[in-house]
Amino acid sequence: MDADNLNVIVGEGTCGIAAGSKEVIDAFRKYDPEINIRTVGCVGMCHQEVITEINDNNGNRFLYGQVTKQVVPKIIRYHMGEGNLPKDHLIFSPEEQSSDKWQYLGNQTRIALRNVGLMDPASISDYQQRDGYKAIKKVIEDMTPEQVIGEVEASHLRGRGGAGFPTHLKWNFARQSEGDIKYLICNGDEGDPGAFMDRSLLEGDPHNIIEGMLIAAYAIGSSMGYAYIRAEYPLAVKNFGKAIADAHEQNILGKNILGSDFSFDIKIKEGAGAFVCGEETALIASIEGERGMPRFKPPFPAIKGLFGKPTIINNVETLANLPWIISNGGAAYAAYGTEDSKGTKVFALAGAIKKGGLVEVPMGTKIRDVLESIGGGSSSGKPLKAVQLGGPSGGCIPEKLFDTTIEYAAINATGAIMGSGGMIVMDETTCMVDLARYFLSFTQQESCGKCTFCRIGTLRMKELLTKICDGNAVMGDLDALDELTEQIKKASLCGLGQTAPNPVATTLKYFRNEYEAHIKDKRCPAAVCKSLITHTIIPDTCTGCSLCDIQCPVDAITGQKKVKGSYSIDQAKCINCGMCFEVCNSKAIVVE
Amino acid sequence: MEKALEAKVEPEVILGWIEKIGGDSSSTVPLLQAVQSEYGYLPREAMDLIIQNSDITGSQAYGVATFYSQFRLKPVGRHIIRICHGTACHVSGADRLKTSLRHILNISDEEQDTAENGSYTIEEVACIGCCSQAPVMVVSEDVLGNLSGAAAQRALKKHARQNDEIVTNIL
Repeated sequence: MDADNLNVIVGEGTCGIAAGSKEVIDAFRKYDPEINIRTVGCVGMCHQEVITEINDNNGNRFLYGQVTKQVVPKIIRYHMGEGNLPKDHLIFSPEEQSSDKWQYLGNQTRIALRNVGLMDPASISDYQQRDGYKAIKKVIEDMTPEQVIGEVEASHLRGRGGAGFPTHLKWNFARQSEGDIKYLICNGDEGDPGAFMDRSLLEGDPHNIIEGMLIAAYAIGSSMGYAYIRAEYPLAVKNFGKAIADAHEQNILGKNILGSDFSFDIKIKEGAGAFVCGEETALIASIEGERGMPRFKPPFPAIKGLFGKPTIINNVETLANLPWIISNGGAAYAAYGTEDSKGTKVFALAGAIKKGGLVEVPMGTKIRDVLESIGGGSSSGKPLKAVQLGGPSGGCIPEKLFDTTIEYAAINATGAIMGSGGMIVMDETTCMVDLARYFLSFTQQESCGKCTFCRIGTLRMKELLTKICDGNAVMGDLDALDELTEQIKKASLCGLGQTAPNPVATTLKYFRNEYEAHIKDKRCPAAVCKSLITHTIIPDTCTGCSLCDIQCPVDAITGQKKVKGSYSIDQAKCINCGMCFEVCNSKAIVVE
Repeated sequence: MEKALEAKVEPEVILGWIEKIGGDSSSTVPLLQAVQSEYGYLPREAMDLIIQNSDITGSQAYGVATFYSQFRLKPVGRHIIRICHGTACHVSGADRLKTSLRHILNISDEEQDTAENGSYTIEEVACIGCCSQAPVMVVSEDVLGNLSGAAAQRALKKHARQNDEIVTNIL
């Protein structure tokens, strides 16, 4: 058997590329320039990247993880009958379908993510083979707009962008409002640092989003749509653009879609880097060419939105659920979840977790189950301390509350929010004060400046947090943080300001001891805050390799090469950047 | 992304874009994006040409250019390094990438983000969505993940070799 009979499929989402997919593809090509390689989007098993699938000519599928250029020859040899199965890298095969690695996907319920990583995003026929564009056909041929809205009402779908507003209610407002033209906007401005499900969907399953937009447009009576996609996601822009063009060719987009009197078209608008543009009215201002500043609501965009016309803005993940809901019925979607929250939610799991990636689970799943059954627990072996949910608008949920179920009300009760689904896991090496400062710096920078408390209040909070991290604070500063939290929440117009203090409020609530350690003991328990730690070299352990000296950016390390224990750090010069700690192979550097 | 430090603006290029993209106020963002993808930043001459030859006012052009973090009013190096500062990257050492790269590019002035020889500019960007590969950076168009400070330096040196650039503090 020669390699030409093998079909190689390599995951090439941005995360696959970051893990080195191009090198892997080159390695296959080097082996056989004619080899049949296709690329697919990201399946969401980011910890296994680069993921490679081999289809042999008997129709068997083999999935390999953590593939590097060194592993490629082993895989090829095995499939040519010349070597052993590279077991360490095997995720799935006809004989092995219960491996730990495979359980990552096995323990999930994938509706929004049903196609990602399983098909070529550049191929409309791949999507159609997976029942793509059947839902919109059904909608156009057999359903009235009211019936579509009714089906979505039955699904109890709520907006997945963060606020959780019932999708059918929003649509009804727009359906009922008068206008010669109505707009539908796909909100792909996934600005929460730590969330990447929208990127994965736009890159890996763009036709699904187009179909979702078509369904929404049909329901509200829109003929023109915009896909607002972050500039930081070039691959999403590229794949989505190709999908629009391909859909046009088959008359799935454009005039008189599939021979009906329904017409709809989509334009891509690239964002330009402003977190606040995730807010509906700011996003509209941005598309209109203005600074992306929110305005007062009402009037709501459903009544008066883009260019003054009725406008609906739906998040990418919300749209991704729609074709499934139409095909399978709203009741089937509502069968998942709890009384409060129906269906599934996608989370982007990252941080100190063994198996990071995209996780889609039914609402009502416990946080602990996501972290342990799917995420595989702590990556460092150190106990987990908290998860951060909801990005800069969200909060930290401590370990003792990991049995909280994932549903809107229960998450809100902890002080965090569901948000768009970023889930950053932290062990004891993360300083909660530093984390709160990180988020406050972010919101302070991203505040549009319209409301005084958001503009100045977040800056004051950042200054107070910096004081604490530097060991210069007094206990009264904690009261000042509490006070600012209340004021900023009350006196801000949009969600950015109203939620900006959340990271501080939740860390103060659950990790007050860390704040106090910084203030009273001048000590950072996680050994992160640079002003409160020192790097020192243990002479007995130092091998004299000189790596630390070479790496030190401020020449704070001196010693004699090849002389054991001769190196030391000049504390007056040291900036505690941690480079020496990182490169020391003999663990001779301690951080305290 | 290989641009010289000081851009030479050709009026017909800018006028061509106004023609193609449009000169109404809703074209402000795409027009500025086009200018920046050509020159790497928004040169003063290009801004003037847009303001004089379209319906976009000066306050709107500069209002938009200073509001969105993507736009730069200063020239940049021939290549751009984007260091992700998302949450996952922050907790796994994005700062160290910055320190180590600034070190080998010999950028010591805190106000500066471009190497003196005009080779590289270091930018901090909001999350690029590769959180499971944190910390992450993007050199020109290449996304690189799971980096340590030293690995980031190796990657940069490799990029410099391939692009005939000199990284000043070669170690």
